[in-house]
Amino acid sequence: MAREIQRATPTGGGSHALRSAELSLPPVSFRPAWQPEGLPSPRVLRLPLAGSTPAVASVSLLDALPKVSSFRFPRASAAPAALAAPPRPAAAPAQPQAAAEPAVRRPDRPARTRIAPPGDVVRMEERLWFLLQPDLESLLRSCHLDFPRRPFPFQLEGMAFLMPRHAAVLADEMGLGKSMQAISSIRLLIHAGEARRVLVVCPKGLVSNWVRELGDWAPEIPVAVIEGDPQRRRWQWALSDVAVKVANYESVVRDRELVAELKASFDLVVLDEAQRIKNSASQTSHAIRALSRRRSWALTGTPVENSADDIVGLFEFVAPGHLDERMSPRALGAAAADHVLRRTKDKVLKDLPPRLNRDERIELTPEQRETYRRAEEDGVLRLAEMGRSATIRHVFELVLRLKQVCNFDTHSGESAKLDCLKADLGEVQASGRKALVFSQWVETLGKLEKELAPFGALQYHGGMSTAARDEAIRQFKNDRRHSVLLLSYGAGAVGLNLQFSQYVFLFDRWWNPAVEDQAVNRAHRIGAAGAVTVTRYLAADTIEERIDEVLRKKRDLSELILSQSEPSEAGSTGLTVDELFALFRLPSPSRSAAAA
Amino acid sequence: MDTNDRSLTFGFLTTVDSPTHGVFGGYLVVDTTGRPLEFHCTTPVKVSRAQQILYGATLPGHLHGRQIGANLLAEATSRPVAVLIDAETLLHVRPHTPLPVGLVHRSEPAPSTPRDDEALVRFGTTVISLPADRHADVIDGLTALAGAVDLSEPFERIRAAIDEAQRH
Repeated sequence: MAREIQRATPTGGGSHALRSAELSLPPVSFRPAWQPEGLPSPRVLRLPLAGSTPAVASVSLLDALPKVSSFRFPRASAAPAALAAPPRPAAAPAQPQAAAEPAVRRPDRPARTRIAPPGDVVRMEERLWFLLQPDLESLLRSCHLDFPRRPFPFQLEGMAFLMPRHAAVLADEMGLGKSMQAISSIRLLIHAGEARRVLVVCPKGLVSNWVRELGDWAPEIPVAVIEGDPQRRRWQWALSDVAVKVANYESVVRDRELVAELKASFDLVVLDEAQRIKNSASQTSHAIRALSRRRSWALTGTPVENSADDIVGLFEFVAPGHLDERMSPRALGAAAADHVLRRTKDKVLKDLPPRLNRDERIELTPEQRETYRRAEEDGVLRLAEMGRSATIRHVFELVLRLKQVCNFDTHSGESAKLDCLKADLGEVQASGRKALVFSQWVETLGKLEKELAPFGALQYHGGMSTAARDEAIRQFKNDRRHSVLLLSYGAGAVGLNLQFSQYVFLFDRWWNPAVEDQAVNRAHRIGAAGAVTVTRYLAADTIEERIDEVLRKKRDLSELILSQSEPSEAGSTGLTVDELFALFRLPSPSRSAAAA
Repeated sequence: MDTNDRSLTFGFLTTVDSPTHGVFGGYLVVDTTGRPLEFHCTTPVKVSRAQQILYGATLPGHLHGRQIGANLLAEATSRPVAVLIDAETLLHVRPHTPLPVGLVHRSEPAPSTPRDDEALVRFGTTVISLPADRHADVIDGLTALAGAVDLSEPFERIRAAIDEAQRH
């Protein structure tokens, strides 16, 4: 117990009181003899005999080692020796030198394109494996891979997108080099030992184009085309020492059982113009999806051509079951986002020459107008008489008949569009330029070829053999006498590189603006030397104007899904049954049925 | 040294200072093409103000050299040609390892004269301080690696990986 001498407050009269709290002794008052009476009372100090224990603060030392997480990765397997690129001298930066000279400021930091882990890779070790890879530029350098032309940064980003993905849709706008990006990614995978058997499937007309592009962008990779009689195709499917095989869609469908019998399997299957399998119920889709593969890449400029179902069909190949037709466009966009890369020219190619659109409204000749009027009146009358038995096919036939009259008068052979085209081509030829003319009908192309003989017109359509089409392209490209190439939308709208043409004429209109865009982009693409002028002929006050009006009003669902926006109304970018009937102010069978 | 030897490896050691978590350490081992073989990273070490005062000038040596640097190097199974670092504080790892440790100079301009017992070697735009008595042993290997990757680039990968590990 703490002891305390407690001093009492002065009691007055100069006496002092002293007491011990502990002993409880009664206070004793006295006055010392030496103290004279009347002096001031002394102050009493109180002194603690023992204090409280002081607090001790300890500072821990940095003794314990931090925990270490470790990740180990397998060495990349070497590419087949046959693919070894010729040795090159080491790059200049690799030469060491004593740094004795005065240091100079480093040049700007080189661009580095990183390979990010795909969203569906969740294991930490796998995500780190992607993040810890060298940048794409370094990978290319370490493999000694050269390119015939320096890729654009967005193309390197496209490669960095494709390479790590097992399920990918490269949906760049036409003309941005989807095939080059795919070929370069295939090349890197092969050199990294991650792919040994690759199958490229494309439309028949583009097989030679792919072989040419593979030769340009991956010259050291052995390529085989699957073609010829059944025996030859069997041998080609079975070939094991060819890294890349190219087949057309028809071959895959035709050889479906053969491929299964041979147990052919691929490290990667790449589909070009992949919208071919948008209908998952089609034979083509079934045959493609039956291919045994580890990776599935789809290349298409129009992942949503007509309706949201298109991209669902595409994903049945790329990532089966990932998308569902019942999903809203926003949900589709969100679910597809990590697998789809879409860039448009206006975003990534600031330096691409402009595309100048020009709608030419053409008045039909009097005779043509009369033929058109009669055809429409008769057709509408017939449809009206058919009543509810009129089908979409009947309406469609009438539309096609009227569009043909807009091109050429079926009686007199007159064509206001042709007159206009001749005048326009005169200017094109005089300036030493080249022009592409697109039509829906091969028959129209035939008529145009005769009429445009002074311009050296050449044809390119699906009715021609591959060799004849290649020859037409060669002549058009190299011979100044041929300033016009006449193409069908079906054969000429995809895969061709005709960027040396500065003019595009759409003699008649396709049903879907996306297909028209594909056609235009044969010329308006990387490598285009100057502005590309696109002229769309529209016959005034005809079915062509009405179709154009409908398409103009429709939202572009493709962009909506790819930008994950919610459209204000569901629908397709093509014409629906209701819209087709409405072109002639006829009640749609579906509405009639609903009303009934 | 056979620079075509695919078994050659190179180490890259760095630290990342997070204002909220503390100091992380990361160590990446790559092959001659710059591809990753091993990655090790530490949990963050947070140093208090009192510890800073108590350790004084010895703190960087203890924290970066012993606690993080030596700890990470001890976990690796590969024996690299050299270990490259990108911060002077990590030079304190040298007493803890028999491996040659080279400092990649990030600051501009890079020094033009070496310090005592150091040799400055330039690989393109990258300048590295190497121990003067060891630099001849590692130059061939580093030259081969510099042909594949910029020698200052792997540190970016380590930082990205630590960032990913933090978010995971």
